Amino acid sequence: MFRTARRTHDKGPAAEALRLVKVSRTYGHDDSAVTALDGVTLSLERGTFTAVMGPSGSGKSTLLQCAAGLDRPDSGIVMVDGAEMTGGSEAELTRFRRSRIGFVFQQYNLLDTLTVAQNTVLPLKLAGRRVDRKRAQEVLTAVGLGDRLGHRPDQLSGGQRQRVAIARALVTEPRVIFADEPTGALDTRSARGVLLLLQEAVRVHGRTVVMVTHDPVAASYADSVLFLADGRLAGRMHAPTVDAVAERLAHLGDDVTVGV
Amino acid sequence: MFVLAMRSIRQRPGRFLATLLAAFLGAAIIMTFNSLHDTAAQHGIDSVSAETLSTSASVVGGYGTLLVFFAVASTLTVNVRQRSRELETLRCSGATPAQLKRMVVGEAVAVALLGAILAIGPAMLGGRALLGVFQDSGQVARSVDYSFGPFALQSGLGITLLAAAGAAFLAVRRATRGQRQQGRARTFFAYVALVAGVVSVTATFGFSATDAALMAAPAYGAILLSVGLALLAPRFLKGLLDRLQLTGASGWLAVRNLRERTDQLAGILMSLILFTAVSTATLYMQAVEGDAVKASGLTKSVDAKNLETLNFTVVGIIVVFVCVMLVNSLYAATTYRAREFGGQRLAGATPGQVLRTVGAETAILTVTGVLSGTVAALAGIVPFTMVRTDSVLPHQGLGIWLAVVAVAATVTLGTSLVTARRVLRTPAVEAVALAA
Repeated sequence: MFRTARRTHDKGPAAEALRLVKVSRTYGHDDSAVTALDGVTLSLERGTFTAVMGPSGSGKSTLLQCAAGLDRPDSGIVMVDGAEMTGGSEAELTRFRRSRIGFVFQQYNLLDTLTVAQNTVLPLKLAGRRVDRKRAQEVLTAVGLGDRLGHRPDQLSGGQRQRVAIARALVTEPRVIFADEPTGALDTRSARGVLLLLQEAVRVHGRTVVMVTHDPVAASYADSVLFLADGRLAGRMHAPTVDAVAERLAHLGDDVTVGV
Repeated sequence: MFVLAMRSIRQRPGRFLATLLAAFLGAAIIMTFNSLHDTAAQHGIDSVSAETLSTSASVVGGYGTLLVFFAVASTLTVNVRQRSRELETLRCSGATPAQLKRMVVGEAVAVALLGAILAIGPAMLGGRALLGVFQDSGQVARSVDYSFGPFALQSGLGITLLAAAGAAFLAVRRATRGQRQQGRARTFFAYVALVAGVVSVTATFGFSATDAALMAAPAYGAILLSVGLALLAPRFLKGLLDRLQLTGASGWLAVRNLRERTDQLAGILMSLILFTAVSTATLYMQAVEGDAVKASGLTKSVDAKNLETLNFTVVGIIVVFVCVMLVNSLYAATTYRAREFGGQRLAGATPGQVLRTVGAETAILTVTGVLSGTVAALAGIVPFTMVRTDSVLPHQGLGIWLAVVAVAATVTLGTSLVTARRVLRTPAVEAVALAA
């Protein structure tokens, strides 16, 4: 269903979907400067589902934005699918992103003026790629919206909107899908549906998903959890369970206090 | 609610700048022209001077006032519409529709009042300068002193406040109520304006060729027809969009964006249509008038030249005013789209693609507005030319029209693109989060 179409120049996916080397990002100047990321180095394999967790202000959103090319790190290297992201113009970054990266945001970020089907194929249109309507329909059917193609986002529930966003992220067949609090605005049932879709994208179709969340339940759907505190990596947990993640999070807070 | 209104003005003065500017310029224009009435009403003024002053105050002041009314109203409508999210939040936190109305109308009136008061000084200077031009052209005796009195003040404050309050009231009612009824009311007003416009244009034939007020009827008519066409323009635009096949992602997006936003575009189209219609109509009528005067050889050449200068000055003021209003409402409408642009960028649009989309949208808008405006202008020009001369169309050729179209296109495209570029400077992630 989410088959990987080989593009002509494509050498196939690299084994390492995402690599960050000593990535730092500071906001503000001088006295009021805040270090959001402090030399983060990490590597994520292809076909993995990783959750990024940490207390508020730990830098998890900054991490995601730098890794996804939405923000430029002050220093360090970001590599997506074996290609280094160089800090060029926004247009260059956009072109880099749209051939490799898909997004799912907490606030969906669908365009109100477009229908569900049009929103889904928008990234393809913008990238000048061939729009395969049948495939878009397949993807939308797979996320359970096959009968809503002509609806507008404001006619859908939050959960449905987020599923459109997932379909939009999947349709370009990106190497990495970044999800920023994808369930943050959803009720538990819709959230579960969204998380299962992300999980399916990884397990069945071999995509790589990186999800920022503050919710231990959401994190428990991932293969592993990265913990972040004060802009630094503070541990990694494989095969996470809700309780283990919650417990670890609680102690992250302690560590920070001790560290100060 | 009034307290809330005042607080919201104090907290975010920037968002009211467009309204303030509209009210300020509108009131300044109205008071400048209407102060001529006050000047004419003074004791001991010779009848020729008094008549010249009150005629030009009634003719230009009259249609100028009508123009200002609609220009201020359309700018305010654009501004209130942008706040639907904020109004929704207030509604969710327990504000009744009546309270919302009081708040929005209160804000609009307060800002318009401030604008109108600020306009008094400039209007006095403008009126004095205008009187000077009249005196230089020999239309008014040198001995006449300038006076700024109750008539200027009342009309300036009254019209500006009425336009502001009326537009705010209608816009907030639209925002707090369903869409259904609004369509019918709009159609009704559109036809009222069109009928009134046709009546006014037809009334031109009731004047004699040398009547000083001859230009008033077609000018009123062109303005009213512009308003009617602007109200109907969304429908016309929809028809155009259905036939339009634009290739490329930007064109594709532009057509879809416009189709969804047609109803909101009426405000911008109003300014654009008014600009095209009023400048085309008045400039052509002035040119026809000038030629007719010259041909009749009634006035000495120096006086004729002065008179022409005077008339073009007056028309110029009006044209520049509408142009500023056009920039004003386009700027406000484009600034508000930061979030939408952010969404496009996050979906993979490069800044260039966003700008091309805006460019394509604006081009389609410009074509619609210019065509409608030209129709309204022709409706005024043809009767005027028929009465003033023996021909149907002016002999001036397409030059003036082409110049007006060029200015309209440059101003709309320029404002949209420059504003969009500025909006795009905010990182996409921030832009999306701003209004959320």
